[in-house]
Amino acid sequence: MTDIQQTVYVVEDDEAVRDSLELLLKSDGKTVKTYESATAFLREFSDAMAGCIVLDIRMPGMDGMELQKKLNERHSLLPIIFVTGHGDVPMAVDAMKEGAVDFIQKPYREEALLEKIEAALAQDREQRKSLGEKQEIVRRIKTLTPREAEIMDRMIAGQANKVIAIELDISQRTVEIHRSRVMHKMGTHSLAHLVRMVLSVKDLIDAR
Amino acid sequence: MTETVSAPTEATVLLVDDNPQNLKVLYETLKDKGYRLLIANDGEKALELAHRNHPEVILLDIMMPEMDGWQVCEQLKADPVTADSAVVFLSALDDVDAKVKGFALGGADYISKPFQAQEVIARVRTHARVIKLERQLQKRNRQLESDQSRILNAISEGIYGLDARGNIIFANPAAALITGYHADDLVGQNFFKLHFVDAPNPADSGEESLPVWMTCHQGVAEHERGVTMHRADGSTFAAEYRATPKLEGDNGKLRGAVVVFRDITAELENERALDEARELVQEQRDQLAHASRLSTMGEMAAGVAHEVNQPLTAITNYARVARRMMAAETLDKELLAETLGKIEAQSHRASEVIRRIRRFMKKPAAGKEVLSIPALLEDTRQFAEVDMRNNEGGIEITVADDVPEVLADPVQVQQVALNLIRNALEATRSAGAADPVQVSATMMGENCVRIEVTDHGIGLPEDAEEKLFLPFYTTKEDGMGIGLPMCRSLVQAQGGDIGFERQPEGGARFFFTLPVAAGSGASCVPASQDD
Repeated sequence: MTDIQQTVYVVEDDEAVRDSLELLLKSDGKTVKTYESATAFLREFSDAMAGCIVLDIRMPGMDGMELQKKLNERHSLLPIIFVTGHGDVPMAVDAMKEGAVDFIQKPYREEALLEKIEAALAQDREQRKSLGEKQEIVRRIKTLTPREAEIMDRMIAGQANKVIAIELDISQRTVEIHRSRVMHKMGTHSLAHLVRMVLSVKDLIDAR
Repeated sequence: MTETVSAPTEATVLLVDDNPQNLKVLYETLKDKGYRLLIANDGEKALELAHRNHPEVILLDIMMPEMDGWQVCEQLKADPVTADSAVVFLSALDDVDAKVKGFALGGADYISKPFQAQEVIARVRTHARVIKLERQLQKRNRQLESDQSRILNAISEGIYGLDARGNIIFANPAAALITGYHADDLVGQNFFKLHFVDAPNPADSGEESLPVWMTCHQGVAEHERGVTMHRADGSTFAAEYRATPKLEGDNGKLRGAVVVFRDITAELENERALDEARELVQEQRDQLAHASRLSTMGEMAAGVAHEVNQPLTAITNYARVARRMMAAETLDKELLAETLGKIEAQSHRASEVIRRIRRFMKKPAAGKEVLSIPALLEDTRQFAEVDMRNNEGGIEITVADDVPEVLADPVQVQQVALNLIRNALEATRSAGAADPVQVSATMMGENCVRIEVTDHGIGLPEDAEEKLFLPFYTTKEDGMGIGLPMCRSLVQAQGGDIGFERQPEGGARFFFTLPVAAGSGASCVPASQDD
């Protein structure tokens, strides 16, 4: 789950800048894909993409800011590093408000750029890892039977086995069996962990 | 003993005889013949009447006591007032000597006594008519002469009449005034010596090259401006003159020249002042144009920085890549060379941007040159693109095949084109249109190239016709209202015209014209159009 291939997506209209950046990042060992326009990138975009975007803020046609908005609409997780020119700082500030990770002014020093890219990739990894964990929890929750799910909800609400047995009109022993199955299916031995896991995906479950 | 008989417009005849009987006969003879008759019975009275009444004909008896006819005639001829009267002697002295003496004293005719009435009438009629005509002729002559001299005196130009050698035979008062000589002293002097050769600083070249020389010697009319002539006091003045050959009526033989000249020192001074003022205006326009270019560059600063940053960024990246290659265990020389080549290309790209900016910022303007329209527009397009990264449509240039080179200041024309193109890009962008800005060049007539910039913006406000080219009028939120007035001033300085048209499908079209390099040099401003 943690070994997803991360790619640096370079969106840059200037051919020389695009080409040189691709060479530079590749020489640093990065996987790089380049796009000559925001539209071209958007055409290929999918949730499966992992890594980060190095995005030129000024481009003919759709500019960097517009691409950022479109990606936000599609719930993209890809961190964006905006590349700005002199005098584009106000634009960069707006971009940051829209959730960009960082921006860097042209011409930049390689170290600074690579640093920012590393940070973006780490953030992407983090996001993706926690997303993976959450998806695992949701997957496990889905394996529960309706009765098990009901018991789990009550466990999380803090009800004792006895209370659960009385309220559901089943034997305390049956509750205990369900309870151990829930713990097994959810892959934990601790009630506290179970509570944390379920609460962390509360939004995902509610969204369903 | 005087008497007036007929209309005063008629000829006056004075009858002089000491014999009353004779007077009576003469009187009766000439009465009712349409003359005004005066009568005197002695010389004294005759002179007095003649002086006062100016008779055409005087019938004068020779044999008179005290003052005889000859004496009277002598005195009549001595008085300028009466000198022109026709004196007809009357005498019984029928000898040749007497007649000769009479003619010698200025008598016009002779009638022998006893006279025949018919003869008296005929002779008086003849002489009266002759004298009357003569007097009319003289009067006319005097009038002409006075007209002529009045004209010559009134003319502020100096006028010389020269003979074929260049000697002055006539000079008007203005000629004397201009040259500082006395009018009487001029006549008889030699024109060439007086004003050129004998002057303190004579012309070095030969006589043939002297002004008016060819007119006097070859009969060639001359007209020159700015010739240096010498005055009486040795000072000089700048003159303009016209010399016309004087030809003899019958055979066309060259008789000299008439020279009309004037002192143009003040005129030249005025012209120089005007030239200076014109230069000052030109200088100020150039300075203003330069300031306006600086301001345009200021507006384009972000775009320019971007345009320079792109190659610099690429260069930095490539350099890093090259460094890594060299640090690698095996050196891929081919790849390294390729990367270095890319660095070089990007350096050229950056310097090209800077070169274009430097040329645009150059001060002062370079002056008029022969320019290729396609090259100029292409260069301007690349320049404008620095600033148009958000225009999807871009700029489309079409130049007709027959468009020749123009004569204009390259920087100022580019300034105008850039200004119009940037306006068009902005108008198109703010209207959200994706159509390209169209730039075209076509021939207009034989001597002008017309360059049009068409946008797809929202078009022009209704009062644009009156206001668009006024300073400080703007339709843009952050506009200064300097651009178009500056463009107009610059285009006019090239001898061109600038204006705009509304597009039927919305949007605006601005145009300007430039004179072609090989054209007639005439201005491209339509005659009917005024500012």
